[in-house]
Amino acid sequence: MAAEKAEIDALKKECDGLRTQIEAARKAVNDGNMSSAAGSATDVGRVQLKLRKSLKGHLAKIYSMHWSSDSRSMVSASQDGKLLVWDTHTGNKLVAVPLKSAWVMSVAFAPSGNLVASGGLDNMCTVYNIKAASPKTLRELDAHTGYLSCCRFLSDNEILTASGDTTCCLWDLETGKQKIIFTNHIGDCMSLALSNDENTFVSGACDSLAKLWDLREGTCKQTFSGHTSDINAIQFFPNGNAFVTGSDDCSCKMYDLRSDQEVITYQDASLNAGVTSLTLSNSGRLIFAGYDDFNCHIWDSLKGEKVGVLSGHDNRVSCTGVPADGMGVCTGSWDSFLKLWN
Amino acid sequence: MEELDVPQMRREVESLQYQLAINREKSSITVTELVKWIEGCVCDDPFLNPELMRANPWVEKGKCVIL
Repeated sequence: MAAEKAEIDALKKECDGLRTQIEAARKAVNDGNMSSAAGSATDVGRVQLKLRKSLKGHLAKIYSMHWSSDSRSMVSASQDGKLLVWDTHTGNKLVAVPLKSAWVMSVAFAPSGNLVASGGLDNMCTVYNIKAASPKTLRELDAHTGYLSCCRFLSDNEILTASGDTTCCLWDLETGKQKIIFTNHIGDCMSLALSNDENTFVSGACDSLAKLWDLREGTCKQTFSGHTSDINAIQFFPNGNAFVTGSDDCSCKMYDLRSDQEVITYQDASLNAGVTSLTLSNSGRLIFAGYDDFNCHIWDSLKGEKVGVLSGHDNRVSCTGVPADGMGVCTGSWDSFLKLWN
Repeated sequence: MEELDVPQMRREVESLQYQLAINREKSSITVTELVKWIEGCVCDDPFLNPELMRANPWVEKGKCVIL
């Protein structure tokens, strides 16, 4: 017993030493900063968007939404036990998928548009074929020992999941089995984002850390700290060299992969609400962040200033998304509505 | 959230050694390049280039109505 404790203490000391070395290595390359680099960037001015549509159909809190790659369809998930696929040009509902478990926390559209996936407190990720005459369950991915917080398709054959059991997982949809399990977080994984080249992904967790993973090797390549509470949302910048996180500590942060550190924090003394969700405009210049204060605030990612706000929801904004064509932004809320703005 | 057992701690040490070994680039270069890249994309961003928002897919013909 004592020998084991001694070994753990020695290993803990080794970990602390390594973390100190990593911090030193980061400091050594930190010879620039965002405010000086962005000083010459053009001003974006106030970003004032109009509410174009309010999509009514869900009967309870909306927890998640995801755009189809066609920039026209969109899928939303609510704890009323349904997934709804919408045509955002007409506002019509195209498909309704009844869920076995109403406690859904995440939904995703496959790039092909043929499949959607969802999951939540049932600890499973269920994949549905929505192109069949009526939605058909294709797979029930059942191996996580905690809630499903986020899921993203790589293709019709592979899906990545994040779970409250602190792991992320890559699944093979042909066999329904786990291909790779990503373990390193020590808190519930809340969110994940795939890089464009699909070789890496980033995850945010309740241990207040964000991690970059090699999708094929299964290894954690880099760990980013700075937040002081759960990270609920994470998105890559379009060029794949940086990502943004949103946290219960009421701030968003940009992290640079190449220098391995935080570059800028987006926070405001008047904003005392946790960040639930975030999405970027196509250039990455604008960050749309959903907060517990019922609003979606718009940040200038380079200058670190608030440049606009989307107000209109009567409850927490739980999800946001910009479609691939970048023509607008969707917000989803606990007030059961989805709103489209541009 | 504490890691307690020996195998987990050993894996954490290995992971940290791996993470320490990566190549880190100077932020004066990386941040400048990031800013340049984003600025370069602004003209293709419908939120920032009004020309691109002309063909607005979500504009109602008449009054906005909550369905």
